[in-house]
Amino acid sequence: MFIVGFLARRLAQGAVIVFLVSFLIFTLLRVIPGDPVRLMAGGMAPDELIEQIAADMGLRDPIPVQFARYMGGVMRGDLGQSFVRPASGAAVGGAQFDDATRAERARVLSLIAETAPMTVQLALLSMVFALLIATPIGVAGGLYPGRWPDKLALYLGSLFVSLPNFWLGIVLVLLLSVNLRLLPAIGYQGFAWTILPAIVLAIEIAPFLIRTLTVSVAQIMRENFIAAATVRGLGRGRIVVAHALKNAAVPLLNLLGVQFSMLLGGVLVIEFIFDYPGLGLLTINAVLQRDFPLIQGIAIVTSAAFVLINIAVDLAATAIDPRLDY
Amino acid sequence: MTETLLDVRGLSVAARTAEGLRPILTDVSLDLAPRRILGVIGGGGSGKTTLARALVNWLPPALKPTAGEILYRGRDVLKMRPAEARRLRGREIAYVGGDPAGAMDPTMTVGAQLVEKLRAVEPGVSRAEARARAIALLGAVRIPAPELRFHEYPFQYSGGMMQRAMIVDALISNPAFLVADNITQPLDVTVGAQILKLMREVTERFDTAILFVSSSLPTVADVADEVVVLDKGAIVERQPPAALVAAPRHAYTRRLIEELPTLWTPGGGRAAKLHAPGVAPILSVRDVSKTYVAGARSGLGPKRLVQAVRNADFDVYEGENFGVVGESGCGKSSLMRLLTALERPDKGSILFEGKNVFSGKTGDLRALRRRMQLVLQDPYSSLPPQTSIGDIIAEPLVIHGLGNRAQRRVRALEMMGEVGLPKSLYDDLPNGLSAGQRQRVNVARAMILEPRLLLMDETLSALDQTEQSKLLDLFERLQAQHNFTYLFISHDIAMVRRVCARVAVMYLGEVVELANNDRLFFDPGHPYSRALLSAAPTLEERRYRSEDCLLEGEPPSPIDLPPGCAFATRCPSAHDRCRAENPRAYARGHGDRAACFLLEATAASTPARETHDA
Repeated sequence: MFIVGFLARRLAQGAVIVFLVSFLIFTLLRVIPGDPVRLMAGGMAPDELIEQIAADMGLRDPIPVQFARYMGGVMRGDLGQSFVRPASGAAVGGAQFDDATRAERARVLSLIAETAPMTVQLALLSMVFALLIATPIGVAGGLYPGRWPDKLALYLGSLFVSLPNFWLGIVLVLLLSVNLRLLPAIGYQGFAWTILPAIVLAIEIAPFLIRTLTVSVAQIMRENFIAAATVRGLGRGRIVVAHALKNAAVPLLNLLGVQFSMLLGGVLVIEFIFDYPGLGLLTINAVLQRDFPLIQGIAIVTSAAFVLINIAVDLAATAIDPRLDY
Repeated sequence: MTETLLDVRGLSVAARTAEGLRPILTDVSLDLAPRRILGVIGGGGSGKTTLARALVNWLPPALKPTAGEILYRGRDVLKMRPAEARRLRGREIAYVGGDPAGAMDPTMTVGAQLVEKLRAVEPGVSRAEARARAIALLGAVRIPAPELRFHEYPFQYSGGMMQRAMIVDALISNPAFLVADNITQPLDVTVGAQILKLMREVTERFDTAILFVSSSLPTVADVADEVVVLDKGAIVERQPPAALVAAPRHAYTRRLIEELPTLWTPGGGRAAKLHAPGVAPILSVRDVSKTYVAGARSGLGPKRLVQAVRNADFDVYEGENFGVVGESGCGKSSLMRLLTALERPDKGSILFEGKNVFSGKTGDLRALRRRMQLVLQDPYSSLPPQTSIGDIIAEPLVIHGLGNRAQRRVRALEMMGEVGLPKSLYDDLPNGLSAGQRQRVNVARAMILEPRLLLMDETLSALDQTEQSKLLDLFERLQAQHNFTYLFISHDIAMVRRVCARVAVMYLGEVVELANNDRLFFDPGHPYSRALLSAAPTLEERRYRSEDCLLEGEPPSPIDLPPGCAFATRCPSAHDRCRAENPRAYARGHGDRAACFLLEATAASTPARETHDA
């Protein structure tokens, strides 16, 4: 019963959030300088034609009218069509003027559906790597505060957090794929192409996980019930694994939710460096080409993903610690 | 000679400090036979918790045993290898501490943790068997509906219930020896009394010997077969409780006994002067109620209402000490928030010196606060740590814009003199002060505005007996000088007996009885007052036995109050009507009244509020 009420409330809140995000993005896109029709039709197209295309596309209507029309489509599951990308693939626009092919332009939803799984795969793999790096270091640091594992956790965290990701990406490409030929780097032809960018992202996230784990494990280990567990006759291993780590998992889980959302929303630099065909790369190109429908679509999908991830995290946290009351 | 389970010989424990080893326990020797309860009594810093922890080989890293041995069935606990010690600890030697609230993992059900513990110390036990044993024991310590409670989390247990669960946790492996370290200290007296009763049963039913450590002599005397007195880390005497109380041999024991407040000595309420007849009340509380909304779990379900204060109605007269007593959750503190106008009541009115506290503007409220001041419970968090003592005391003058800097200094120094603080402390920070000195700062800060009414919210509960006594003397002297009126809010019925002329007894938000001091202690009108008296820690011969006055069980939650009388669930005299209808207050003469149907026959004709309705 609790779960039904919880989901109903949180999904309703989430819908409001997604709506507000859409409105904000929609309005800002139309307020900032840069005319998408000029980019679509090409620099050489006559002004009257530009105005005509713009009017045909409804781009000269008042913003609320445009927004209402757009949201009407979104409600029916139609995120619109890209301004510039044809369904066939290659980007168009620039000086080329091919208004006749408008019908064949790619649907935003299918563009996102093609790229989103790539980003999800990259995000998940980086989380796995990050956890593999952070868990042993962070837990050990928390179990021995002030001793060498704690210091190791601190120094490694500081080191990782100060490595710029674009630099690390390039260095790893040079080292692992160019020199050692262990891993492929640029583009995407299979799962192996995900590994290198995931490592770079994992090293970027790991310091936060290490810090959170160290602090929360150390804090839990000072709790009364941990001390009491010893005198109740529980062994050290059981105390650490079943009680300390379980309790320390809640703050970690919250952090993982935030990090995962961020990975989904914008691994722009890394996807760009590795030419990885995910949402980040799609976003960069959409912004450069003033592809309004695509930018809006990405914004809506990622904000919806944020909302869902947060709900999942809160549910999981309540499952671990029933005192939490969301 | 009888068999000996535990034999401690010449045990000394010291703390590692920068200056070397500082002794905590010196040459402690004691022995314990199976199925006996040995009480250990001592004040703060006497080393009793260190002793308790040494016996289960669970000393904190900063402490180390320097001499002696602890023989459990002939084996030295201190010399065991860690693995061996762990096998003994939790299985044959169990420990229950004084903080039940934090003793279990909050993220696992109580039942799962009981099973986990049993299987950790006795690996052969199957899950189903462990579960059956846990449920049986939860029932044995009188946790209601043990099958359901088994699946609940620690935060769903009340303090008393959690302490019972911890006792189950200790007993589940059938230990031969149980260390009970201050286990009743955090509990309400009526709940603590039930835990004591349980301790006595445990020795018989489970063949367990108990070392019962406590700072309350009446508690130890109640439960133990023999008592050892610990003073400054050494045992100063050992006697059966009756002999100890009748003929204490050591000066420290004599002092402990002398300091104990008495409830039923005639004239024991020596400071309890009643107001002169015909005086107008300084504070009138008229039918005041306050309900808080607790967050509903999903936001969609029904709102949960906590009825913190229900129809409180009483008068406090000028120059009189008024007491509000009750156990945790009874609404004392909510009432205090209403009286100090920190919150508005939902219903009813509060009149101070004849004026409605909530009718006026903000300025009026400020003027009112000059004449009504509050002294809080916690001596530590109630003083700003970075402000000098003089500035803390003078601050109310600054707030109310009284005097210039030099005048304020003179007034603050005067106040420090009055409350017995050395004037040299004026520029010091409060961090070096003892708890008693801190409360003196609090009193001085409240007094500097020359208020008429001082609200004392558990002001003395954090202090030890000696310090309490001194402050009560100070309050008396100040009252004689300035004609203050005191309103004491407290759970300590012995303190109330000593200082309050009239007493309101609260239970679950209601004033169930209002009585003059002597009447309340010698002829209580409400069964709950009787239960409270029966559970009070005292060495005197009890006028009321807790077996007759209190049923097993805990107060119901203030969120789902049962219909009818709130005390009906624990009242031995409850009948069907009590469970359906809430009794009104029946007058008992001299302004006394109590809300119980048993009084209906004798009081049917007199109106309840004769004092102010007349």
